[in-house]
Order: sequence, then structure tokens, then C-alpha cells
Amino acid sequence: MSAQNVDDIVKTPAFPSLGMQLVAQMSNITRDRIQDLALENAHNNLAAILNGQSLKALRDIKAGEGDKAIVIAAGPSLKRKKVAEQLLAANYDGAIIATESSMLYCLRQGIIPDLVVTVDPHPTRIVRWFGDPDLSEADLKNDDYFERQDLDTSFSEALRTNDEILELLNKYGQQMRIAVSSSSANTVVTRAHQAGMQVYWWNPMYDDPDQPNSVTRTLLMKNGLPCVNAGGNVGSAAWMMANAVWGKQRIAITGMDLGYYAETPYKNTQYYHEALSLVGEERLDEIYMHIHNPHLDQWFYTDPAYMWYRECFLQMAAHASCQTFNCTEGGILFGDNIHFTNLSDFLTA
Amino acid sequence: MDNLLKGNFSTEKAVVDTDSNEESLEQRFEKEALKKLGGSIAFVAKQEVLWNDEDKSKDD
Repeated sequence: MSAQNVDDIVKTPAFPSLGMQLVAQMSNITRDRIQDLALENAHNNLAAILNGQSLKALRDIKAGEGDKAIVIAAGPSLKRKKVAEQLLAANYDGAIIATESSMLYCLRQGIIPDLVVTVDPHPTRIVRWFGDPDLSEADLKNDDYFERQDLDTSFSEALRTNDEILELLNKYGQQMRIAVSSSSANTVVTRAHQAGMQVYWWNPMYDDPDQPNSVTRTLLMKNGLPCVNAGGNVGSAAWMMANAVWGKQRIAITGMDLGYYAETPYKNTQYYHEALSLVGEERLDEIYMHIHNPHLDQWFYTDPAYMWYRECFLQMAAHASCQTFNCTEGGILFGDNIHFTNLSDFLTA
Repeated sequence: MDNLLKGNFSTEKAVVDTDSNEESLEQRFEKEALKKLGGSIAFVAKQEVLWNDEDKSKDD
């Protein structure tokens, strides 16, 4: 069965699929994968933190008019739904918070976000969103992530796009603020400073800071930075900051599909190689989960990591003191406490 | 058990126990794949922001 045949797929199988079993383990898998690296980066960033400010300082800076904020993430709907064009046409004057992965999209459209957010500790991939001054043909051969992925597909034209974002960020960096997580790799930190971005530091939460021997609290004591629940990914962290830092009450998210359009080949998904290693080509359908979006009457499919992000987000939305509007107009992020609506409706409300 | 089961011949070569706890190649592949499968960063239930130790302004 291919990804195109989703109409025939039963949404809820009689037993948990392999994909759902992985979702249940995703919190532990994530911790095992990133925590040591993230904490090592935090230690290495102690000196660099002195060159920036605490996220706390951002609370004193006004971001946009009114109580609205829009989060721009880099999912496939971002371009399909022409988010930037809609914002510009509506003369939107609320706050704009962008993930680092959507920075190129924003700058190309002439939009300088009020804040860019970055959190993933990956040593080589994340800097690519900023333009990697050291990117070589050999790097591209070693990692085909950007060539395959369906986030910002222009990154598949690697070297040319790398030059473009280098140039754009060098030009506009000084006008931009970025919330850099202490978990960020040295490559990202160096590039942000090099581009002249105004850096605001924060810690992602790793565990409950009220628990004994909390890693989060130990980190806070070490570097003095505020700790933010990042919700598993940079888009959720951006949403969290809109409310927690700037107190925005109506927050729209765009480009946050957390899934793939039905026609997207499996090989263009973010964890294709890993899925292939786990189960082989013939059993890939057991890893991916197909979801019917009732608001759009449309099928999408997702992988265990995105599904986990969805579950995390729904939990965070349930406890949030703001209203959340999912204006992605695609994907799998819907449920209680989320208003699934068009961006145009949010802009005119 | 060794007292009860005794062989009545000697093997020409030493017998190696292949039913050990060593991981199969498949298991190793799975473990390596799982290492790369997780999310970008952690999620902590029912927490939002902890600004600092002094004001304890945790919003949860």
C-alpha cells in the first residue's frame, strides 16, 4: 500500500500500530537521543551566553500591536496557503514569531519576524536554516535530509539556497531578534552572532523542575536562564513564547502541519531512512499513520515524531491561558482547545 | 543440573553457546535507527515557563 491510497485506510486499527507504539516511547527516545548533546552544548555555550541577553529581557520589548500573534513554521502548507502574501495583503500588525526553518521564507517575502526561535541541538543540520558558511559538496553527500525533506523545498537546491540565506541574513540579521536555546549547537550560535542577530537565551525544560535532582533546575542554577517547555519541537516552543513571553492571548499557528500531504512520497519524509532501517521497505506502512482531518475532509499521514508533537501540543493547549487558532489549513493538528480555522478569518477577526 | 546431566562422550571441538544475550544485526540496526527517530527536544507535561529561582513564577 502506498501513501497515495489513504482513502482505503481505517483510521483506528484494532490494535496499536508499530507507529503508535513508537509514539508511546517517543519521550524516552527523544531524551536518549538529544539530552546529553543538548546539555553538552549548554555547557559549551556558557561563555557565549554572556554576549547575549536572557529571554526575560524580551518581556520588556513590545512585539506587534494588540493581543494577536502568528507563529510561522515551515510545514508544507506554508507555501501552499500563501501565508506571507496573506499577512502582507491584510496589513497584519500583530506579533510574528518564526521558527528558524521558516526564516528564509519570511525574508524572501520581505517579512522580518519579531522573533525567531531555535532549539534543536543538531550540530550540522540546524545551521543550514541560517546559511552554513562552511557548507561543502562533501557535507551534502553525507546528509541528504534537506534534499529529501518537504519543509522548505528550496533547500534541496542546496548550495545556491545556502548562499541566498547567508546573504539575506547578513543583510537583515541586525534587525532580527532570536531566542536561542542553550541546547543549540556552536555552529548556530556562531552564525547568529556573526549575522548580528540580537540573541536572547533560554533553557528548554528536560524534566519537571520541582522534582528532586531535576536536570532542568540544575541547568537553571548553572546559567541563570529561564526554562521554557518547548513541547518537543521549535514550532511548539514559538507558540509557547508568544503567550509566556509577550502575553499574547490570540495565537495563530501557520505552517504547522505535523504531517504530510497524501501525495508526498515516503522518501520525502523526515525519518525515512530511520523507518527503512527499522522495518524495511515492505513494512513502511506500519510506521506511518494516516489521519483524516474532519475540518478539511482530507487525509494526511504522519510519522511517530510528528504524532508525538501533536500529542504534546494538545496537552499544552489544554493548559494554556490563551486561545489557539490553527491556521495551517492542512495537516493533523486539530482537537480540543484548538480552533481550526482559515488564516483569512483570523486576520479579519 | 551439572550433577544430573553428564555427557557420555567428548566433543572434538569446544562447543560455543550461540544462544547468548548478544544483539543480532537486526536488533543493532533497530537500536541505531531508534537513536535518530526522536523529537527535537523534550516535552514536560503541565509546565510552561520557569523564569528563575527567586520569583518562582512558574505558569502551570
